Amino acid sequence: MDCQKLQKKVRSIYGNSIRVTEKDGNIVLSGTLKKWEDIVGACSLCVDKKRRYHVINNLKLENTELPKMKLPHIQDQALEGRKPDVLVIGGGISGASIARELMKWKLDVLLAEKESDVAMHASGRNDGEVHPGIDLGKGTLKQHYVIAGNRMYGKICKELDVPFKRCGQYVGMMHWSELLPAYLYACQRKYMCGVSDTRVISGKTLRKREPHLNPDMKFAIYNSMAGSVCPYGLTIAYAENAVQNGAEVALNTAVLSMDVKDGKIRSVLTNRGRIYPEIVINAAGVFAEDVAEMAGDRFYSIHPRRGTNAILDKKAGKLMGGIASWKTLKKTSGHTKGGGIVHTAHDNLLVGPDAVETYEKENFATQASSIENNFKKQQGTVKELSQRDIITYFTGVRAPTFEEDFVIERGRKTKNLIHCAGIQSPGLTTAPAVAKDVAKMAAKMVSASHPVKKNESYNPYRKGVPRLREMSPEQRNKLIQKRPDYGVMICRCEEISKGEIVDALCSPLPVYTVDGVKKRVRPGMGRCQGGFCMPLVAEIISEVTGQPLEKVKKSGGDSYLLFGKTKAGDGK
Amino acid sequence: MIYDVIVIGGGPAGLAAAIAAKKEGAQVLLIEREGRLGGILKQCIHDGFGLQRFKEKLSGPEYAERFIEEFHSLEIPAKLWTFVTKIRKSDQDFQVWTVSRNGVEMLVSRTLILATGCRERTAKQVSIHGTRPAGVYTAGTAQHFTNLQGVMPARRCVILGSGDIGLIMARRLKLEGADILGVYEVRPEPSGLTRNMIQCLEDFDIPLHLSETVTRIFGDDRLTGVEIAKVDEQMQPVPGTEKRIDCDTLILSVGLIPENEMAESLRVTMDPRTKGPVCDSWAMTDVPGVFSCGNAFHVNDLVDYVSESGELAGTSAARYFRELKGEADRTAENWISVETEGGLAYVVPQKIRKSDLDKKLVFYFRCRRTMGESMLAAISAGKTVFEKKYQAVRPPEMERVVIDLSKADIVGTSLVFQLGEVQA
Amino acid sequence: MKEFVCITCPNSCRMQAELENGQWKVTGNKCKRGQQFAESEMTCPKRTFSTTVKTAWDSVPVIPVRVSREIPKDKIFQIMEEINHMTVRKSMGRGDVLIPDVLGLHADVIVTSSVLKEYLEENNKENTYMHKDCAQEGGNYE
Repeated sequence: MDCQKLQKKVRSIYGNSIRVTEKDGNIVLSGTLKKWEDIVGACSLCVDKKRRYHVINNLKLENTELPKMKLPHIQDQALEGRKPDVLVIGGGISGASIARELMKWKLDVLLAEKESDVAMHASGRNDGEVHPGIDLGKGTLKQHYVIAGNRMYGKICKELDVPFKRCGQYVGMMHWSELLPAYLYACQRKYMCGVSDTRVISGKTLRKREPHLNPDMKFAIYNSMAGSVCPYGLTIAYAENAVQNGAEVALNTAVLSMDVKDGKIRSVLTNRGRIYPEIVINAAGVFAEDVAEMAGDRFYSIHPRRGTNAILDKKAGKLMGGIASWKTLKKTSGHTKGGGIVHTAHDNLLVGPDAVETYEKENFATQASSIENNFKKQQGTVKELSQRDIITYFTGVRAPTFEEDFVIERGRKTKNLIHCAGIQSPGLTTAPAVAKDVAKMAAKMVSASHPVKKNESYNPYRKGVPRLREMSPEQRNKLIQKRPDYGVMICRCEEISKGEIVDALCSPLPVYTVDGVKKRVRPGMGRCQGGFCMPLVAEIISEVTGQPLEKVKKSGGDSYLLFGKTKAGDGK
Repeated sequence: MIYDVIVIGGGPAGLAAAIAAKKEGAQVLLIEREGRLGGILKQCIHDGFGLQRFKEKLSGPEYAERFIEEFHSLEIPAKLWTFVTKIRKSDQDFQVWTVSRNGVEMLVSRTLILATGCRERTAKQVSIHGTRPAGVYTAGTAQHFTNLQGVMPARRCVILGSGDIGLIMARRLKLEGADILGVYEVRPEPSGLTRNMIQCLEDFDIPLHLSETVTRIFGDDRLTGVEIAKVDEQMQPVPGTEKRIDCDTLILSVGLIPENEMAESLRVTMDPRTKGPVCDSWAMTDVPGVFSCGNAFHVNDLVDYVSESGELAGTSAARYFRELKGEADRTAENWISVETEGGLAYVVPQKIRKSDLDKKLVFYFRCRRTMGESMLAAISAGKTVFEKKYQAVRPPEMERVVIDLSKADIVGTSLVFQLGEVQA
Repeated sequence: MKEFVCITCPNSCRMQAELENGQWKVTGNKCKRGQQFAESEMTCPKRTFSTTVKTAWDSVPVIPVRVSREIPKDKIFQIMEEINHMTVRKSMGRGDVLIPDVLGLHADVIVTSSVLKEYLEENNKENTYMHKDCAQEGGNYE
């Protein structure tokens, strides 16, 4: 690499304050810039197309202190002295799936998640698409894992009892002139990249299958293997199955620092005590770079990218059964497909996401402009799309590297570390395949210090909370006869019974918050957004845990719903 | 057994409907989702209910319990803690599938009365952005916490929307010791009843800010503040007018939406103006045998009218099979349509059964905007057949008008209502 | 002259009141009650109000109460104070008097719902179910 040449190139656009240097075979940018977009721009400019080296961002943002990682409020010694074989940092889809795969061996696995639940960041703020891999060219890790991951979904969702539908993806094209290039593109993907389900279908066929798609679509690229899954549902299922097989999931547990000596992590300090792991897996999402830094093994950078989705009422779900977007070959910008419409595993429609660079890794606040833009764009996909059908919206933050590829490898300087970083879209799709490889890698690394045996009693099956609304009347009746609480309706919009809520609170990884229950069994996910059921859910949490109602929280931290009782009373 | 009438919903509309149907001699069953009858009135502990009907200022529970007692004295069966999961229509009757602690049960009825009430619009439905902390509640949720569960949802509270429940909750939380920092209304005029503006806000020195709205929510765990902005005539926030208010709770009273998922599943035609079904003067929807009443039909401002609407649905449903018995009833010629012009937001019922043209009928209407002295006119074939003068009309206040159709010379297929300001 | 809105009924009449020879002359009211309201508003404004009172039972933690007739507006918080310090420990139903002649104002604080009474009666019977009291059956995953 030629740092001088790169520096010259970068300085010509972003000014002379930037320095480009080399460190251990990677490129480091330092200096100070006024705008975050410029920092992202400068770093992106230095990316090697052949990915022979990484870009590390040491640029400072003028007059701005980057926000520190938000930490849990708990301070105790619950994990002090714990010596797990494997410490997995991060309870997103990556960490949870790796923890589960690790249980195929007889290993002591501890997963540390700083939030009050798993799937609280990108994995819980995701459109749930299981990608076919049509948009990825050869040569990346993403591409390597996406087909394998996609093909594993049927089995994994069956094992973990998670709803999954291969609903197919349509990318509509508006101009006949694009037919030939699109056809060639499709062929390349199909025959060279292994995206074997790729087809080009006529507008007529398209409309037969999805009558509400924009009539201007002349033809479409279709992938039947695309699907939708509940991203947090799958993460929770993975984590629960890991726990069932003996893993420990420590919530509200943040990694604060590491003691690294002679290229080895000796101990990891958390807010719940010091842990002495044999090996560490870095699946910390937007904070993967920070964890890498603590481990003395930072050779890549994450540039957070915000995306916002709107969720539409199930009534609008009828507009489309699959996943669709429209595309023109004329101009492509940004690093994502630019969003689309997804028919979710729960039969809502999801519109989005957009892509906005940000230095705030944990700012999940939504912006009106995102929704506007998503709708403007996706009205090209389905003309009838209406903002009136919105029931809620959410923002997530993706964790890409500047190379826009995954980093899945053993630590370069720190040897008892595995990076599972830069996991952005299609990270949900790739997770089952990545987890398998990472777990294998980890088991091998642990076996260097002591023998690792297969876990003979490993049970890949996890039974979720029964979904009564999907059952036949006979089945449903049978369950209610066994447990009458299944007949007590709490959430009217999503038809969730008290029994299902109690089940969620008695699951292998219970989270005693309103949002925890909501993510597991969906009360409050419907059109009233918990207006009717939230006080009842809070009451059930209070019943099951024995804590008074006013101690029930919405989510983590100090998110208490209430301020004590209205009346003191005194016995008069 | 086959019921003559199944009433879905045990709030004021459903209770009145069941009672009326029973009094007409029908075999009635009422299905209620919750463990007690009374619907939302159970948590509406403030007084002012029943002024029209009982000439008393009752609390919500008192009003409901009067009906509940009558309901029980007529020995009408009710299934509590019972939730309707789906309804199937056959030629002759309706299969109503329910779940309860006893299991799944299919009930059969000749007619259905949908008295499912309404739900509240949420923060996301009025496009508020920002974080998602604890402490953002609809007024109804806050009311449930305060009045039924005896817990405080707020300490320092901003209220968005001057709908009646919002005003009522402002006073209620103030009485329980909360600070109510202000009520913000995006429109240039309040949307609650005048008396509530006075006895809930003025009496307690709670400021009302018109043409201002909440644009953002702050806070990661519990709400820490909201951003307020002034709005222009199109009700869009004016850039530069934003200010932040520190508070721990945001209560929303930004409108009610009739709950009609069941009606929609039966393919009942809906009126986009009321967001409820299109009904005739028998409270019947365009699916024969399906009746609608109360706030599921259209959002009322007074419970007295809800009860009245329930009674009409109950009486009609009971009479439906006895008097009409089927097929002949299904042709469009049996109705004349009610149309609106000018300053009217809507008039219900939307259709008049021709056999009712010799009767006195009750119509309810809402105006589009506040007007001074106004004239309501009903016009048939270009001729004004009815007129009534109003001192003033306001959109939040629903008006009830009785028209003796026998005295109105109605011809043709439609009756057109007009509301216009009287020129001074 | 003072202008205000009558809150006696939903008509919300806009009224004017003027003192004439020691008598309030009221205009704008559609009914007699408006006259009364205006006179009282001018001399000693009166209101009714509702709240809840604590009970000794967790399943029905509070029950609704109201004043049986109008009381001077400035006494509301004083009465709230009285109610807030009470706990209902016996069965009470709609219409039962919680505080007779509260603060000597010739108004009672009365209970406005029979929810507690019904709950206590129901609970003495077998095979009844109250949401909060249902036995914990725990997570049954089969």
